[in-house]
Amino acid sequence: MSRLNERFKKLYKIGLVITFAIFLFFLFYDIHNLDSDGKRYLSEHYISEGVQETGATNLVASVLYDYRAFDTLGEATVILTAATILAFLVPITKATMFGTTFKSIVNQTITLIIPFLAVLGAYLLLFGHLSPGGGFVGGVVLSVIPILLTITYSVDFSEYIFKPAQKKLVENIGAIGFVLLGLLGVFTGSNFLASGQAPFGTGSAGEVFSAGLIPYLNLMIGLKVGAGLAIIFNSLIKEK
Amino acid sequence: MEIPYVVVIILFCLGMYTIITKKNLIKIVIGFTIVESSLILLLMLVGYKPDGTAPILDKGYEIVVDPIPQALALTTIVIGGSVTAVMLAVVIKIHKRYRTLNIDEIRKLRG
Amino acid sequence: MEAAVLVIISPLLTAFFLGISRLYVKKIFFPLVTGSAIIYLYLLILVITNSYPAKVYSIGDWGMLGINLMVDPFSSLFLLIIAILFLPFIIFSMKYTKFIKHDYFIFAYLMIAGISGMVLTADLFNLYVFLEVSSLSSCALSLQKKTDRGIEGTFKYLIMSTLGSFFILLATILTYYLTGTLNMAEIPLAFEDIPFKIKSTIMAFFVFGYALKIGLIPLHAWLPDAYEDSPIPYNVLSSGLVMKSALYALIRILYIMFGIDFLDESGMLTIVVFWGVITFLIAHCLAFQQSNLNRLLAYSSIAQIAYIMIGLFVGTEAGLIAGSFHILNHAIMKGALFLVVGIFNYSLTAVEIEDIKGLGYKFPIISFTFVVASLAIVGLPPFNGFMSKWLIVEAALEADFVYAAFFILVGTFLSLTYYLKVIVTLYTKTEEELLIEEPGLSLKLPTIFLGSLCIVFGIVPSLPLSLMNKIPKFLLDNGEYIRILLGG
Repeated sequence: MSRLNERFKKLYKIGLVITFAIFLFFLFYDIHNLDSDGKRYLSEHYISEGVQETGATNLVASVLYDYRAFDTLGEATVILTAATILAFLVPITKATMFGTTFKSIVNQTITLIIPFLAVLGAYLLLFGHLSPGGGFVGGVVLSVIPILLTITYSVDFSEYIFKPAQKKLVENIGAIGFVLLGLLGVFTGSNFLASGQAPFGTGSAGEVFSAGLIPYLNLMIGLKVGAGLAIIFNSLIKEK
Repeated sequence: MEIPYVVVIILFCLGMYTIITKKNLIKIVIGFTIVESSLILLLMLVGYKPDGTAPILDKGYEIVVDPIPQALALTTIVIGGSVTAVMLAVVIKIHKRYRTLNIDEIRKLRG
Repeated sequence: MEAAVLVIISPLLTAFFLGISRLYVKKIFFPLVTGSAIIYLYLLILVITNSYPAKVYSIGDWGMLGINLMVDPFSSLFLLIIAILFLPFIIFSMKYTKFIKHDYFIFAYLMIAGISGMVLTADLFNLYVFLEVSSLSSCALSLQKKTDRGIEGTFKYLIMSTLGSFFILLATILTYYLTGTLNMAEIPLAFEDIPFKIKSTIMAFFVFGYALKIGLIPLHAWLPDAYEDSPIPYNVLSSGLVMKSALYALIRILYIMFGIDFLDESGMLTIVVFWGVITFLIAHCLAFQQSNLNRLLAYSSIAQIAYIMIGLFVGTEAGLIAGSFHILNHAIMKGALFLVVGIFNYSLTAVEIEDIKGLGYKFPIISFTFVVASLAIVGLPPFNGFMSKWLIVEAALEADFVYAAFFILVGTFLSLTYYLKVIVTLYTKTEEELLIEEPGLSLKLPTIFLGSLCIVFGIVPSLPLSLMNKIPKFLLDNGEYIRILLGG
């Protein structure tokens, strides 16, 4: 009897999900058939005017760090919250061993790769407003360095090179720097997080030092994301 | 109706099914990531235009895809990643305390 | 109106500086936390007093192209609740928290920043981002004790709140797909020629997602579990602000984006009022069975939120005023109750109803505060809960929801039973000698402050009502909100 009951329960759940899927299918079908292309004036404005208004040729960067920079502040806060939660769940002092012995070829290759990774990360950070990349991607690439060290050597070694306290400091400095750069706009008589409107000048689009505050915001977010992800990864590994 | 939307629906419902039925905590977290990736795919589809190029205007392009959903997708990825990390950390803590990942055996709360 | 953005920025900055101070300069911890709480209070008062007529602050000076913040009477009501609860919360937690303090206050400031961001923003996706900030840091706070039950309850909370976020995000993406904008003023204009079927489906997604976060009855299971073993001062902010901020976002979306006419036409008002009635009846019955004080108060919170939903969704001017008044009152009353339980817990680690037997004679003032607050939450005159509940009943009768008005009276008796049970236990004499750690003034003062506000707002309800009388103007007619946000 109980087996029958269980099977019925499973069938019921499958039925529920399939009903929901059919429902979603009809919803998407209806939405797709509506002609909503005429309503994209916002994105059309970004595409046609965005380069002049913000000075960044990468429109995604101009949306992320200029038009909707406040969202970016929010998501940076989410990463900081997650990193703080993980660091709080795992005591800092007790680094349990996680050591896998690799052949020396792995260790040598890692030491070779790391400088290239650093250069790639720095490039992605600094050219984020011109080409694909930006703070998040660059930060992720930078955070790969401590992660690789953790995997190939051990948590202890990785935390000897990049101390947890330093990582946290870098993360907080990135966050504070973002807010302070935003407040620059207030001090120069414009609104919070203004870059083109405040008298910083957007420069000529396509050069490295252009696009107002966007490169600096990119740098701050990159530091923050890199340090945050490294903290998150190390905390997850340390927990035994 | 294009096929990518069907993929979104399938992924969304698959993730929901995983969340509802699975007993293993790690599998539940995997369900969450599946749902999240389906939503990111939906965001990409919303901004898609046929034959559009990436929104990086270093030359004059005719058709450029919508940059807003891409920025939103980046935000969604970051938020989803953070939430997943927190969930995994809590799962690890639960496993440490209860020595099990089965959701039926974790019942100290009466509710 | 620089203060509007500073309301969001200053707690964030405090949290970041606290993160640095934990690592290097531990001495500045106390002045940093209290000092920024006082500055924050000043900023909040500055914004609240300037909230009428409504003002718009454009971030980055982009106008309609970027993200806007909007201060109107409904959002300033929430800022008022933050202003009332936050400083008592800080003072109380300073003494109460025996565990790591830095993390606790970092999360508290992040949560406040998230809530004030949710309250002020006028952009749909920004709302989602700040919702995540507040719910993630709220999870972190409920995790603080690191006990088995705390971790288990937090996991449930995390699962449910993330599930809710997915539906909210899905609805947000579909809204962008249909309208091509995320600005709350432009969406209703673009929504006008969308077919009824699609609009109501998107609304259903929003309602389901937020109902998970609010904790209406079939979706409530995470709430008492998350409350059971979390730090008690956090419960004050959680029931007073976190649940309410999700409610705020729901109201904002439904009334501004969809408009009252659409809500009436689609039957949403009737559905939510019916749902509210079911919710508080069941929640009262469940609360009666609890022996743990935290769980009892959690179920009572669910019931009170249902009253608020009824008030806000009868769809009349009086209903909106009554609902908003009850939001404020519930935050104060539940705050006082939780703080009293917090003191009992601090002094003799009492969490069960049995444990507080005879404490009425040991802590005369604190116990009196408990009695005042619980009578207020039941809805007896002359306390503030009576005023707002009476207004809700009146509004329900006026809008022809006679059954809702009748069941609210029934619910009052139900809630009276279990609160009386607690009060009677509190004043039962026992012979047992109790080991009591004397609570200091910093624990008593916030409690008495909130308890006395119950009486003050009950005797002079015109004080807060003068702020709330302007709320319906911006909610019932979304044209006003849209006009101001578009800068007309």
